[in-house]
Amino acid sequence: MAAAANGPRRPPLHRPSQGSASASRRCGGPGAALPLPSAAAGAAMASYTKAAQQWATFARAWYLLDAKMQPPGKIAAATVMRLEGRHKPIYHALSDCGDHVVIINTRHIAFSGNKWEQKVYSSHTGYPGGFKQVTATQLHLKDPTAIVKLTVYRMLPKNLQRRTMMQRLHLFPDDVIPEDIQNNLLQEIPQPRVVPRRLDEYTPEEIAAFPKVWIPPKDFRRR
Amino acid sequence: MAAPSLLRGGLRRLFTGLFGTGWASPPTRALREVMEVTEGNTTTIEGRIIEDAQAPAPPNPSGQCPICRWNLKHKYDYVDVLLLSQFIRSDGGMLPRRITGLCLEEHKKIAVCVQMAHRAGLLPNHRPPLPEGHIPKKHKLNREIPPRFPSCFIQTTHLCSWSLGILFFVQDPAILKGASRALR
Repeated sequence: MAAAANGPRRPPLHRPSQGSASASRRCGGPGAALPLPSAAAGAAMASYTKAAQQWATFARAWYLLDAKMQPPGKIAAATVMRLEGRHKPIYHALSDCGDHVVIINTRHIAFSGNKWEQKVYSSHTGYPGGFKQVTATQLHLKDPTAIVKLTVYRMLPKNLQRRTMMQRLHLFPDDVIPEDIQNNLLQEIPQPRVVPRRLDEYTPEEIAAFPKVWIPPKDFRRR
Repeated sequence: MAAPSLLRGGLRRLFTGLFGTGWASPPTRALREVMEVTEGNTTTIEGRIIEDAQAPAPPNPSGQCPICRWNLKHKYDYVDVLLLSQFIRSDGGMLPRRITGLCLEEHKKIAVCVQMAHRAGLLPNHRPPLPEGHIPKKHKLNREIPPRFPSCFIQTTHLCSWSLGILFFVQDPAILKGASRALR
């Protein structure tokens, strides 16, 4: 089985230092002592069957992304990379090589600046007088997944594949996921923004270890 | 009305006699911790004065303000809540400069960082007391402060990391030099 799963069979290289008996041996496989990088790669890939390698290359994976305290734009940028399949070396726009992305905690996204009050999401029902404008706050209260959904939709390429990719996006406002999706998850995408620690997330030991940079006077009454 | 003014004048003279000349504030007392000890039939409740533990010596004792004394000029940010929380009251406001000893520019910088930390939600327990009967909003929207420069260009020198221990507690110059080089 190991011999059959080797890389492409190469004709034995002539090694003048050794005798003619070894030169007639077939090269290839982990038994060969040639320091060639291609032979080393062939030896490494020899541990997977062809079917397993095909599966690993072309299967559609499920990724998890936690949107807690993250800006929705950065979340969408990481998501769109995975939905299109651009993170794969086999990417082609027509190959339909995108993966599934599950975003949790969309209720806890964080906008910078005053976007909660200033960012406006507009829509038109198609009927006269049907132009609606809502702020990000109002939209988020009405539907906690809408902001991330719209951000991802607008960041995807504007072609017919966009709707298919949106079908592979799964949004959840909290960290409660259906069990069948939870069983599919393969890997977690790292969060794009490093979330700073709150004061109540520090242990009392860490707070005690931090030195006091100023000493209050004896008659100071701390309020 | 002659009678009430006479009364008021008499009362004021009484009070000034009690506190001495001028309208001085009552004498302040140090912070005390209430201890209750029960031994058999006797329960002793006493207030023990809390003594602050001796703080380690600052690396630059010749500095004018705490930030200069601890060599923290240009080294802190809004995420260093352990430092910022030392200069704020329990309701989130800044302590006066004459008490903390900060110089004016550092006081302003710390005030700005405290404002940013409040906005980012990093000081959840330093909120102003709300009036009774106030119903808080059900939803709380998270806000974040975007980085001033992309993280790929600048090496952060946040104090709330392992390097703090090396800066503050290790006085050996060789190790300090290595730590400062690592920070840079």
